[in-house]
Amino acid sequence: MTINDGWLRDLGMELRRRGVPGGTADHVVAEAATHLRDSGEPPMAAFGPAGAYAAVVSDSVGAAWRRARRPAPGPMRLRARGIVKRYRRRDVLSGVDLTVHAGEVAAVIGANGCGKSTFLRICAGLISPDKGTVQVDGSIGYCPQDGGTIDFLRPEEHFVLVGGGRNWSRERSRAKGRAAAATLDWDASTPMLSRHLSGGTRQKLNLVMAGLSEPDVLLLDEPYQGFDRGTYLDFWEQVWRWRDSGRAVVVVTHMLNQLDLVDTVLDLSGANRERWS
Amino acid sequence: MLASGVVDQERRSQWLRGVLDMCVLAMVSGGESYGYHLVQAVEAAGLGPIKGGTLYPVLLRLESTGLVATDWRQGPSGPARKYYRITAAGQATLRQAVLDWQSFSSDVNAILQRGNAILQEGQST
Repeated sequence: MTINDGWLRDLGMELRRRGVPGGTADHVVAEAATHLRDSGEPPMAAFGPAGAYAAVVSDSVGAAWRRARRPAPGPMRLRARGIVKRYRRRDVLSGVDLTVHAGEVAAVIGANGCGKSTFLRICAGLISPDKGTVQVDGSIGYCPQDGGTIDFLRPEEHFVLVGGGRNWSRERSRAKGRAAAATLDWDASTPMLSRHLSGGTRQKLNLVMAGLSEPDVLLLDEPYQGFDRGTYLDFWEQVWRWRDSGRAVVVVTHMLNQLDLVDTVLDLSGANRERWS
Repeated sequence: MLASGVVDQERRSQWLRGVLDMCVLAMVSGGESYGYHLVQAVEAAGLGPIKGGTLYPVLLRLESTGLVATDWRQGPSGPARKYYRITAAGQATLRQAVLDWQSFSSDVNAILQRGNAILQEGQST
């Protein structure tokens, strides 16, 4: 394999990961191949790293395409109103509001310790607010920041546990889990116990479990910690797929570079406690 | 001397970033062209060397906004190439852009020349 072939293959892969449609991606790769042949330049000189070039291409066509094809938002799925939570007389959350509809993605941002995870746990019903209400229409999938996996079970046994709640057969649960894992570039048929998985792989397991029962509302608490860059992109692609299939998604994140693609941003940092769309 | 040369290069590439899409649109207004040919044409026009990684995203944006139309074809010699040609919408955009640029560049010229004139006066007194 020549240097060009390797770079072109990487480019195709990175474009698909960023959700550039197959036909467009093929044309971009073919055009780059022609350019390299015509100019005789090495790919790094003409285009730079494949991942960086794919990002620029995706910005040129991908974002517009994503916005164009998405269906209109559906009914309200989650409404948090006037959420207040105090720890030791300190207001962690003071009157937070958030509404998310089916087919929308909300990002919850803010500095460490500003109450992002607390807010998500309140939305999930895991802890109670001191004041305020959470209204959820439908089922909830929750992906914690860490924990949530069972040390002495294999990944597939986790899928069986989740599927059991929906009366799925063991084989159906395993198959659905493996398919979801594959979209994160992970082979979940491993016989390893979850306590032996890397931190990033355990987070993939958490993420797969959160989406496995096809919930109406997905609450994701920085689920990509320990992910490499490719998996991080796969993660956002999964978020767009959930959104486009009519789920309401709430993502706690400190990564700001995806914010132009979400529908609602809830900023919990300090004085700047407001919401905009 | 070297340092100022580097800065000039940066400034030039910043300028180019602002006008490259309009230059490309103007270059395909006279007839269709393909990527590598446009790279050569931009350099031959004195705007300096540009990378494929800079040009093709510009072409993609022009295509996705309907200002150019494209066609994959076998060239007179060599492999299949993607040919770009201007559309009616592209022509309208280009006409407007020419007017906007003339007005903008004459404003910039006026400011720069005024500043330069003041410097000249200072030197002569």
